[in-house]
Amino acid sequence: MTMYAILETNNNPSETIRSVLKNMLSEKLVDVVLVPFKTEYSSLPMPTLIADPEKMLQAQPLAPAAPFNAARQAASVLRYPTGKKVAVVLRTCEIRALIELAKLKQCVLDEAILIGFDCMGRIENDSYLEMAAQEEDITTSFYADSSMQDRITGICKACEYFQPYGADLTICLLGMPVMEKIGLMAGTEAGENIIKSLGLSTVEQPEGREVAANSLLQKRTEARDKLFSETSEKIKDIEKFQKTIANCLNCYNCRNACPVCYCKECVFLTDVFAHEPEVLQRRAAKRGAVKLPADTTMFHMTRLAHMSHACVGCGQCSSVCPSSIPVADIFRTVSAKVQELYNYVPGRDISESIPYLVFEEESSNGK
Amino acid sequence: MSDEFEPKIIALVCNWCTYTAADLAGTSRLAYSANVRIIRLMCTGMIDPKYILKALLDGADGVFIGGCHPGDCHYINGNLKAKKRISGISKIVEQFGFDPERLRLRWIGASEGPEFQRNMNEFFESIKALGSTPVRDRMIL
Repeated sequence: MTMYAILETNNNPSETIRSVLKNMLSEKLVDVVLVPFKTEYSSLPMPTLIADPEKMLQAQPLAPAAPFNAARQAASVLRYPTGKKVAVVLRTCEIRALIELAKLKQCVLDEAILIGFDCMGRIENDSYLEMAAQEEDITTSFYADSSMQDRITGICKACEYFQPYGADLTICLLGMPVMEKIGLMAGTEAGENIIKSLGLSTVEQPEGREVAANSLLQKRTEARDKLFSETSEKIKDIEKFQKTIANCLNCYNCRNACPVCYCKECVFLTDVFAHEPEVLQRRAAKRGAVKLPADTTMFHMTRLAHMSHACVGCGQCSSVCPSSIPVADIFRTVSAKVQELYNYVPGRDISESIPYLVFEEESSNGK
Repeated sequence: MSDEFEPKIIALVCNWCTYTAADLAGTSRLAYSANVRIIRLMCTGMIDPKYILKALLDGADGVFIGGCHPGDCHYINGNLKAKKRISGISKIVEQFGFDPERLRLRWIGASEGPEFQRNMNEFFESIKALGSTPVRDRMIL
């Protein structure tokens, strides 16, 4: 039976989670907690490593914002085992990216306590700041008023992975009257130990979660399929694709924002793409003209070849694009085909191998 | 010169099997399509996705990849790595309107000169039937 505890929220679910995290720190169940945190300088919650339980007052564990995908930050704290217990509170796309980074040997999750929550999506940074200027507690209003949930990003609306995979603890919001109570569910033995040590009384998992999850899944899947068909149309031949990426500045923001683009030195910053003048002149001569910086199409397609199997669809690439190119739509659409081919869901299971590391012996001729 | 479509075909072949087969085809005087430009690599396992993408984006009408039969790879499993990667790249380029038939992977052993000749001619015919690449005469950003 899954271990499950009910937590009263008294119209402030964030406060409830804060007190759980605070108790985890003061009871020494974990040494540090990585959690979104509102500094005194801005409303935008930044991933912050907290050691002092008192600092937990400023944590925003459920904020509907993610200034960037925090998997990288989590991985930097978990780069190698330190003998300390580290709890990380992440969105589902961040947990999935973190699991992919662990597979890529960028971090070790043995000492980590992964805490996820049913993700209702995130709001773009600029809209979030606008809303924050008008409202004291956006997080509570976001969960209290479902119309606010329509303001999440397009890619979040099309995300069917809203339930955390592989989390030690899941904060259950689906099917719960969030303003009255929420659930805390253990996914692993480590999670169970924490629920026990906190002295929370456990109950049978209330019904309604599955129904709520299914209805959200249906809504999200419909949006996803619509996104796929519209995006496929935008890239379906090389001319359409050129038009879609025509305003790309080669700033590589999308690559920097990508949680699974993990290379320390990207090939696009090496001499491979630092062409000699003769090369550029030859290209111009061959085709009549060459746009500079060159290799824009090559950049996006190479990045797809490198990480499409691992794309978690967090949408940060679109969020950071200065030219409003629907990068995430393109990457999710193409990645879905690649992931389907390999029957691979990134971040589903840490014991699943990256598809490019598994190859079967076969006798057929090529193909 | 006729106006007939003359495909440009890039063949990335491994040193140990398919290139040796090409060599054998040559010494055996087995003629095959002159549209094929061979690039020799030590192993198909070292084919970076960029090589294939660059060839396609620079106007190649077809890219042929030839490696050792499974189990015969000089580096144990480079050919199987190539197969896995190429299946993914094929899916990607297909999304952008490149017919996946423009990318072909075959295993051709060192002693299979006639097999090399047959494969080159077959690939040439299939590319000819497909027609010119969508990239030709277009400015690629």
